[in-house]
Amino acid sequence: MATAVEYWRWTESRWTAPDVDWRAGKVITAGVDVGSVSTQAVIVVDGKLYAYSSMRTGSDSPQSAQKAMDWATEGTGMTIDNVRYVVGTGYGRVNVPFANRTITEIACHARGANFIYGPSVRTVLDMGGQDCKAIRCDEKGKVSSFLMNDKCAAGTGRGMEVFADLLAVPIEDVGSLSLSVAEEPPPVSSTCVVFAKTEATGLLRAGWPKNRVVAAYCSAMAHRVVTLLERIGVEAEFAITGGISKNVGIVRRIEKELGVKALEPGLDAQLAGGLGAALFAYALAARAAS
Amino acid sequence: MSPFQKFQEWHQNRHQYAQEWKARTGGKVLGYFCTYVPEEILYAADVLPVRILGSHEPEDVTEPHIFAMFCPFCRDCLAQGLKGRFDYLDGIMISQSCLHIRQAFWSWQLHIPTSFSYYLPMPHHVQSPRAQDYLRGELAQFKGAVEGWTGRTLTDADLDRGMEIMNTNRRLMKQVYELRKAPNPPLVGADAMEMVLSSQMTDKREHNQELAALLEKLPQQKRDGDPPVRLMIIGSEDDDVAFIKMAESLGAVFVSDDHCTGTRYFWNEALPQEDRLMAIAQRYLDRTPCPTKDWPERRRFQQILRLAKEYGVQGALLIQQKFCDPHESDIPQLARLLKENGIPSYFLEFDMTVPLGPFRTRVEAFLETLREEDLF
Repeated sequence: MATAVEYWRWTESRWTAPDVDWRAGKVITAGVDVGSVSTQAVIVVDGKLYAYSSMRTGSDSPQSAQKAMDWATEGTGMTIDNVRYVVGTGYGRVNVPFANRTITEIACHARGANFIYGPSVRTVLDMGGQDCKAIRCDEKGKVSSFLMNDKCAAGTGRGMEVFADLLAVPIEDVGSLSLSVAEEPPPVSSTCVVFAKTEATGLLRAGWPKNRVVAAYCSAMAHRVVTLLERIGVEAEFAITGGISKNVGIVRRIEKELGVKALEPGLDAQLAGGLGAALFAYALAARAAS
Repeated sequence: MSPFQKFQEWHQNRHQYAQEWKARTGGKVLGYFCTYVPEEILYAADVLPVRILGSHEPEDVTEPHIFAMFCPFCRDCLAQGLKGRFDYLDGIMISQSCLHIRQAFWSWQLHIPTSFSYYLPMPHHVQSPRAQDYLRGELAQFKGAVEGWTGRTLTDADLDRGMEIMNTNRRLMKQVYELRKAPNPPLVGADAMEMVLSSQMTDKREHNQELAALLEKLPQQKRDGDPPVRLMIIGSEDDDVAFIKMAESLGAVFVSDDHCTGTRYFWNEALPQEDRLMAIAQRYLDRTPCPTKDWPERRRFQQILRLAKEYGVQGALLIQQKFCDPHESDIPQLARLLKENGIPSYFLEFDMTVPLGPFRTRVEAFLETLREEDLF
């Protein structure tokens, strides 16, 4: 029997800073972001990024947190006992068994974006697995106000996974494919994932090529999150975090509709939540020590 | 059993309470749909007024009777009737407030007959100089209808008794609220909500006794630990104790509110005057208004601001029942007013059941923005 191709499956990853000897560090802290779709464990040595892992969240949140942590430390010789302070964040934050404290992903994304994009970031759009958050923050990455989308997974990673599968396009290629249209098609009228899928099926049946269908979907998703951003008000600089930040088709359309360029990340912006948590853990460890 | 436990028990077993009251006293029980109902006149006639509230369970019985874009609260109320949970009621009534809850009332009247049903045309333009005479006239008609229903004539002494019962209840609950001004209040928002809700479902004479007992002990009670973040909750009808408890589990305490299950219900008294019905009319015209009646001047806003300042509020949750247009239209202006006065706010839309998980994240993040965090 042929194996079904899992077009939705994004690449899980891990990374260790090649030039850092964690044993020489004074304070090791970690942040674990257990999201609805993905989990990241990020390790920071003296406030500097040392290692991370990013993987799919399983049905068991404590186990997902443990697995991500194990993978992040794999091959480094580090164990959880070497980590002074752990902050859990994300939807499963209360299920991180080794966390010293929980902080919401809203605060963590703002802090993480401040690290990834620099202190000039004032507006952060976190496009996560199952929700979107528009966040305003100050030069330290402290949240001043925020909004979340309501009761619907439109404009999120899970919706994009569904589309990748429907169109049989690897999820990492969806964004660039959507930009390959000669002319922007009208957006799908429904941004509810299920109804949008129904509409897309109809478009495919009507003979639309895949790139046109996916462009229509990306356009609708971008429009939806732009309305969220407009409600909170966009102040430059503007940055996008979360898995969807890697989807160039969504990012370009948001920029176009807002008339504001999103900053280019120097790091995987899906890490922002876990990274923010690890940096908060560093601040908390320093405070505890003093 | 402590008074707060008693209030909780009454709230949770409201139907049992009303049925036992009926069996014990042989009196009539009337279900009312809106807090503009003049309970003074019902107490004068020894009728027990109980507020019809929902149960926060998903339901499938109101679809044919209420428009889809009407608020979940009015649907939840009607559902209770259609499910037969209020089948002990002898009568129902409403005072005109909004068309959503009025639809629940009309539909109830149509499908669940009772021996008494009354629509009281409470004026919307309560700030009009003509409103007093108009409402007084309506109250006189209503009094006549109650007399016809109960077969007894209501004297001034009866009306005085009705006003005294209501005013005592209001005064005592206000005294309990006063204790919420403390840096670490001896009661939490969930206690306060259960107290007010139970007052809407029990014989207020009995409720007053519990309140008096509570006020003997409560001022001496101290709460240990760090003072929590002081919140105020403002908006549509709200009896969602589960939400209040969830928010208070995150290091916050509600110290005041603007709800018709809170201050809007009981904050002002009927002031004695020779013309009893005028005294009652003025009380309802002068109460903190529902947004349906708060124009052209926004009197509710000034009351909210006063409470927020007196109770040392650090942040406000602005909530509305989904599709509650009168509240929704007020929210942007209210948020701005609070902000200008140094009080940040956060908006949440309530439904019959609220998603506690996602709401928890929002409330927690809002609290993080209020705290002088040790994180930076």
